[in-house]
Amino acid sequence: MKDNKLTKNILNKIKEYKIHESDILSVCPIDLSFEGEYILGYIFLTKDYLGVCTSDIPSGYTHFFRGTKVHKKDEDEDLAEYEVKLFDLKKIEHIHVERMIGAVLLSAEYDGAPIKIASLTNTYLEQLNLFVRHTKNIKNGKDFDADIVGKEVEEEDEELLYCPICGTMYPDPAKKVCPKCTNKRTIFARVLKYFFKYKFSIAILFLSYALGAAISVVWPYLTGKVLFDHVLEKDSEYLARFGLAGKFMLALAILALIMIGSRIIEEITNTVQMALMARVATSTVNDIKTDVFSAMSRLSLNFFTSKQTGGLMTRVLSDSNRVTEFFIDGIPSIFIHGMTIIITFVVMYRLNWQMALIACILLPLLVFMTVKLRPGLWNLSGKRHRAEKAVSSKANDNLTGARVVKAFGQEEAEIERFTNPNNNLKEAEINIVKLRNKFTILYSLVQEISSIWIWIIGVFFVLKTDKIDLGVLLTFVGYVAHLNGPMNFFSRVFRMWSESINAAQRLFEIIDSIPEIVEKENPIHLMKPRGEIELSNVTFGYTVSRNVLKNINLKVKEGEVLGIVGRSGAGKSTLVNLISRLYDVKEGSIKIDGVDVKDLSLSDLRKNVAMVSQDTYIFMGSVAKNIAYGNENATGDEIIRAAKLAGAHDFISKMPDGYDTVIGASGKDLSGGEKQRISIARAILADPKILILDEATASVDTETEKAIQNSLKLLVKGRTTLSIAHRLSTLRDADRLIVIDNGRIVEEGTHAELDQNEEGFFHKLNELQNKSLAVTNF
Amino acid sequence: MAEINTYEKEAEEMTRMTVITDKDKFERTNGGFVNLTKDGILFERVKVVRLFPFTDADKYISIRENSAKAKEIGIIEDLGALDENTQEILREQLRLNYFTPVIEKIYNIKDEYGYAYFHVLTDKGECKFAINMASNAVTKLSDSRLIIMDLDENRFEIRDVNALTQKERRKLDLFL
Repeated sequence: MKDNKLTKNILNKIKEYKIHESDILSVCPIDLSFEGEYILGYIFLTKDYLGVCTSDIPSGYTHFFRGTKVHKKDEDEDLAEYEVKLFDLKKIEHIHVERMIGAVLLSAEYDGAPIKIASLTNTYLEQLNLFVRHTKNIKNGKDFDADIVGKEVEEEDEELLYCPICGTMYPDPAKKVCPKCTNKRTIFARVLKYFFKYKFSIAILFLSYALGAAISVVWPYLTGKVLFDHVLEKDSEYLARFGLAGKFMLALAILALIMIGSRIIEEITNTVQMALMARVATSTVNDIKTDVFSAMSRLSLNFFTSKQTGGLMTRVLSDSNRVTEFFIDGIPSIFIHGMTIIITFVVMYRLNWQMALIACILLPLLVFMTVKLRPGLWNLSGKRHRAEKAVSSKANDNLTGARVVKAFGQEEAEIERFTNPNNNLKEAEINIVKLRNKFTILYSLVQEISSIWIWIIGVFFVLKTDKIDLGVLLTFVGYVAHLNGPMNFFSRVFRMWSESINAAQRLFEIIDSIPEIVEKENPIHLMKPRGEIELSNVTFGYTVSRNVLKNINLKVKEGEVLGIVGRSGAGKSTLVNLISRLYDVKEGSIKIDGVDVKDLSLSDLRKNVAMVSQDTYIFMGSVAKNIAYGNENATGDEIIRAAKLAGAHDFISKMPDGYDTVIGASGKDLSGGEKQRISIARAILADPKILILDEATASVDTETEKAIQNSLKLLVKGRTTLSIAHRLSTLRDADRLIVIDNGRIVEEGTHAELDQNEEGFFHKLNELQNKSLAVTNF
Repeated sequence: MAEINTYEKEAEEMTRMTVITDKDKFERTNGGFVNLTKDGILFERVKVVRLFPFTDADKYISIRENSAKAKEIGIIEDLGALDENTQEILREQLRLNYFTPVIEKIYNIKDEYGYAYFHVLTDKGECKFAINMASNAVTKLSDSRLIIMDLDENRFEIRDVNALTQKERRKLDLFL
C-alpha cells in the first residue's frame, strides 16, 4: 500500500521544528500504538532526524487495508491532532524491522538503549523496509536512494495502483486487475472466445437446434388445429388452399406423412446435435485444460508451495468441465427455448388472445422469484467448490502419507477426519439441489397452473360461448404442455450459469497469474559457457521480513569445486536455488560468466545448471526415460554410461525389465538411494557447465557413496561444481569450502585451512564427525 | 577433547526443558521492552512467544533470547499463575505481538472475481479489508472460530460464528 506523502496538517505541525517539506526524504505510514490499538501516524526521515507523528483515530474512522481504499483525487482532509517525536539520527544504531505475528515493530538502539520506534500492521511492511533502507543509506553517508533500483522505484507512481474505472486500489499491484470491474460478463466473453475456434460446428449446431425448435412449435398446430379443425372437420375451404378440396383421405395421408417426416427430421437433428456437442465440448475442455496447465507450469515455485495440490487438481480437472457445460448445453438452449417460448406465445396470441393472456399471467411472478433466488446459487457454487477442494486435498494428503498413517495405526482416525470435509461437500451439494428444486417446483407449478386454467376456461369457452373450437383448445393445451421443456430448462439454466462462470473465474485466475520469474525481453544467450559464478551482496528471503541470506559475496572460478557446509536451515539450499534462478534475489546480483542471471535466457540457464537435490523427482515412465529427462535425444549408449557413472547401472540391470522398467506413480518401486542415483545419472547426462549437488548422496549407503564419489570425481572435471553436504568427508576433494551460518558466509578456505581455525565452526564439526566415526568403528 | 564437551553441552542445552517460575524476575525497560533475570543472569529485551496461541493462549509461553538464533531461555507453564505485575508486563508484549482484531459485526462481504471484500466492525474499530479467495485466507480453528488473513497477512478473528446474527452468518456462509 502506498502512501508516501505527509499530509498538509503534519507538514504545518513540523514547521515548529524547522522541518520543511523539502527536507523530507522518506515517509512511511504507521497505524498501531505499542499498546495494540489502531492509530493514525507517519514516520519520516530527514537528513538529521527520524520523526514519528502519531494521533488517536477520530471517532467513526474506518481502517482501510490493501485493496480496499477507494482513491480520491483530492487529498483526504486530515484534521487529526498529531504528536511529534524526533529522534536524532546520529544516536540511532541498529535500526531493525521485527515482524511479529500480527504486527511489525521498528526498533533501534538510541543512545545505547533499545527502544521501540513505531509499530504498524503488515499493510505498510514493504514500505517500512524501504524506509529502513533509506535510513541506513543516510546513516552510512550515502544518497538516500542508493542501491535501490527497479521495482521499488516503479512503485512510487501512486496512480498506477488504483483502478482507473472505479478508483479502487488493485489487490495485486503486479497484476493490475480490478476485481470489482471484472464482472461476470467479462468472464463470459472470455470463455466464449474458446468456442470461436469451432465456429463451423457451432453454426451447424445452432441450425439443427433451430430446426428442432421449429418442428416442435409446428407439432401442436398440426396435431391440434390442422388435424381436428380442418381435416377431421372436413374443412373444404381450408383444404382447397392446398389443392386438396374434397380429398379428405389424401389430406389425412399427407398430414400423416408430414407428421412422420417431422419426427424423423427431429431425430436426425438430435443425433447431429449430440455428435457435434460431444466434439465441441471435449475439444474446448481440452483447450482450457491445456491453457491452465501451461499457465501453471510457467508459474514460479512460490505459487506451488503456497497452494495445496488437491485444490489445484480440482481446478484443472473438474473446473474446466464445468465451464463448458453452460456454454455447450446452456447457450444454444437459451436461444432455442427462448425462441420457442416467444413463438409459442405469438401463435397462441394469434389463435385466441384472451386465452393467451390467461396462459402467461403468472410469468411476471416467475421472473420476480428467479431474480430473488439467483444470488444464492452463486454463493452455493463457490461453497461447493471449496468443499470439493477440501475433500480432494484431504484425500491427496492422506494417500501420500499412507505409510505414516499405517505405521501409527491411524486409519480409523483418518477416516473420521475425512468424514468431516466429505460431509461438508455433501451438505453443499444438497443445498444446491435444494435451491435447484425450488426453481424446478416454481417453474412446474406455474406451468401446471397455467395448463389447468387453460382447460377450465377453455372448456367454458367451448361449451358456453362457442367462441372457440375443440381443435383450438387442444392446440392450446398442446402449446402450454409444450412450454414444459423450455420452462424446465430455464429453471436449470441459472444454476448452470453460476457454476460455469464460477469455475471459469477460478481458471482465469490461474491463467492470469504472473510468474515471478520472467525472462527478459531479448535475453542473452550463453554461447560458450565457462561456468564462472559471482554473487555480489546477495540478500534474499522467502518472506518480506525474514532474510535467509544476508549480503553474500562469493566468486566461484571456472571448473572449481566448491563445498558448502552449514547447519540445517542456514541457507545452503536457498543459495543454490538462487543460482539456478528458482527465485530472484531481493538485493544484489548473481552473475554467470559475468552476465546477470536475470538477463540470461531461462532455457540456456537451466540447460547449463543442473541440480541433484535432496528431493528427487521420479515420474511415471521407464528408467531410461527418467534418466533422459530433459534430454530426449540421448542414445542408449549415453544413458548406460551416465547410469554407470552414477552407480545406478548395477541395480538397474538387476531389475527384470532393465532400463525399460516402468517406475510406478511415485517411484514406489525404488529406494531413496536408488532414486537419488537416477537423478545423478540425469544430471550427468544433461552435461551441464555448472553442477549443483545438494545433499546428492545423503540417502545412499557408505559403499555406494564411495562409488558415486569416484564417479563424481570424473564428472566434476571441466565443470564448476557446488556441493552441499552434511558429511564433511564427502567434501574432501573440494578445492574450497565455505561455511554458512545464519545466512552469512562465516568461514572460507580449503579443508586444511579451515580445520586449523580451532575456534571455527568447521573445526568443531569436523572434530565431532571424526569422533562419532571413531565410536562407530569400535 | 574439551571442545567436544562444549559441543555436547550445547546439544544437552538444546534438548533440556527449562521452566520459568516466580523466582525469575521480569522487568519493563524504558524503551518498552522486557528484561529477564534468571539464575543471576540478565537477558535483555527477551521475546515472548505463545506456544499454543489458539487453543491455550495463556499456557506455555516461551521466553527467548533476543538474537538471531532466538535461543529459548525457558517456558512459563501458566501465565495466570504468575503475580499480577509480571503478568501485565508480559501481556503488554503479547498484545502487540499477537495483534488480532476480533470481528464483532459484519456489515458486508462481497465476493468479486477471486477476492472477497469485507466491511466489518472489530473491537479495535471499523475495518475494510480484502482477502484472496484462492489462497487459504480463512482458517477454521473449530466449527465456530475463524482466523481470516487479508492480502498482507493481517489477521482478524471471529471468536464465535454462532454469536453473529442470522443475517451476518448468511454473509459469511461462503466460508463456513
